[in-house]
Amino acid sequence: MLAIEVDRLTKSFVLPSKRIVEAVRAITLSVEQGERLAYIGPNGAGKSTSIKILTGILHPTTGDAQVLGFVPWRQRKELARNIGVLFGQRSQLWFQLTPMQSYKLLGAIYGLSREELERRIDEYGSLLEAAALFDIPVRNLSLGQRMRCELTASLLHSPRVLFLDEPTIGLDLVAKQRFRELIVRLNEHKGTTVFLTSHDVSDIEQVAKRVIVINHGQIIYDDKVSVMKRSLLRTKLMEVRFDEPPGAIDIDGVQVLKSTDMGFKLSVDTEARSIKHVLDELLDRYSVGDISVLDPPLEEVISKIYETPRR
Amino acid sequence: MRALAATWCSAWLDAWANRRSFWTQLVVMTINDSVWVLFWILFFHRIGEVRGWDTEKMLLLFAILTTAAGIALGVFANARKVGQLAGDGELDATLTLPVDPLAHLLARRIDPSLIGDLAFGPILFALAGGPTPERIALFIVGSLCGAIVLTGFLIAAGSLTLFVGGRGEQADLAFQAALILASYPIDFFGGVTKILLFTAVPAAFISSLPAELVDSFTFQTTATLLGSAAFFSLLGIALFRLGMRRYASGAVWTRA
Repeated sequence: MLAIEVDRLTKSFVLPSKRIVEAVRAITLSVEQGERLAYIGPNGAGKSTSIKILTGILHPTTGDAQVLGFVPWRQRKELARNIGVLFGQRSQLWFQLTPMQSYKLLGAIYGLSREELERRIDEYGSLLEAAALFDIPVRNLSLGQRMRCELTASLLHSPRVLFLDEPTIGLDLVAKQRFRELIVRLNEHKGTTVFLTSHDVSDIEQVAKRVIVINHGQIIYDDKVSVMKRSLLRTKLMEVRFDEPPGAIDIDGVQVLKSTDMGFKLSVDTEARSIKHVLDELLDRYSVGDISVLDPPLEEVISKIYETPRR
Repeated sequence: MRALAATWCSAWLDAWANRRSFWTQLVVMTINDSVWVLFWILFFHRIGEVRGWDTEKMLLLFAILTTAAGIALGVFANARKVGQLAGDGELDATLTLPVDPLAHLLARRIDPSLIGDLAFGPILFALAGGPTPERIALFIVGSLCGAIVLTGFLIAAGSLTLFVGGRGEQADLAFQAALILASYPIDFFGGVTKILLFTAVPAAFISSLPAELVDSFTFQTTATLLGSAAFFSLLGIALFRLGMRRYASGAVWTRA
């Protein structure tokens, strides 16, 4: 069953100079319930604008969209009861109050009974390991602590779809890692659909199963993360440790990226030479102690997609 | 209503979080208002009655103005900020909630300094307004109508930001004009200015007409005041709702 359906959605803004900018250009996509989708693109690609239309914040210029069967800009209030939204750059919590005070307000807004609210606060406090933070004024929380409390706020009404717009921005490595694990756990435990935008490649690798790349307001790629890595790459990386200094390595299609006396990092053009062929040659010609074959970092893959010329 | 009441309570808690600041702002505003009262007492003492207005009637007008402003700008403090919030794209967090955005915005911020006005107005009326049960009732009705007119007018002016751009500068101008002009009795003005005070800047409905209602009740004044309150509140709501279709959000760091 589909959680999100978008059909030729367009959003234009008129700048003060009267110039019209098309932030989103005829986007069509669908997301199944329970999916974990990364919606990525370079700055100004149209990611946040798309999310804001899908959450009912912005009205589109043309096109149709349904989220859980609701048209976001016409049924914003009904939709808001069924989705959770977390903006890394926006806060749902009241700065001077404690998260607990904000949660009580959200409980009233979402019509939760006192018992139900307390049960959910306990549940997410434990799941997100954040219960100890709930009685500290938000102004005194670190960014990582605040984001955990923000996530709790966006989950209190048990949303079926969770929109996360750069949720790990500004977090340290440990906080980011913990945050990603929480999102995956939520998806697996509750079946919550996750719609994530991020510039952090690790967010995409560790959270999403599917990736949509948007650039210049248009979708330029849509597939599984694993497929993206494999199909778009014509290079593989090899890390080789030799038993004795190999001298110069001269194999067609192989480029030396980095080298020490015995250790080499090689890039293999798999269209020019197969990995098997390169491995055979290395083993035949040199005394190899250890060898590993790696995919290049996802950044490289994404950069290649971003460089796709504008249609 | 439960959501609105809870939002309003949170706004009070938020303002109350810094108690020293809360009380300082409240006391400073009360001193400011007292200076105005002193000014009008000295003015009428020296000049005498002006176009039917004397100290007693002037203090009545001032009591109504401070009460109305206290409600519109103290209790519904965001009425004055709607344009700025919209222009800066700060309505996103509100729009992700299942609430009426305008009602939520109005309930979500308290301005302690204007709460000083709200405390000052009724006290001034009790001391100088000749309170009788009838006059108290009319004072409440007049102040509420004045507050509704001012709130609606400020929302309408702020909502223009959604049509013409900017950061709510129109609302600042409207706020300044309405409060300054409402500080003086309508009879001090004449000609085109007087017409403007019943239309473009409805200062007459905020203070002079409510004072007239308390001082000499007529059904016509009551109907005019209620009509103006209905008109300006509907104008504010309509312009805000229409404008929200053009809301462009933003990408600024904000606390919502």
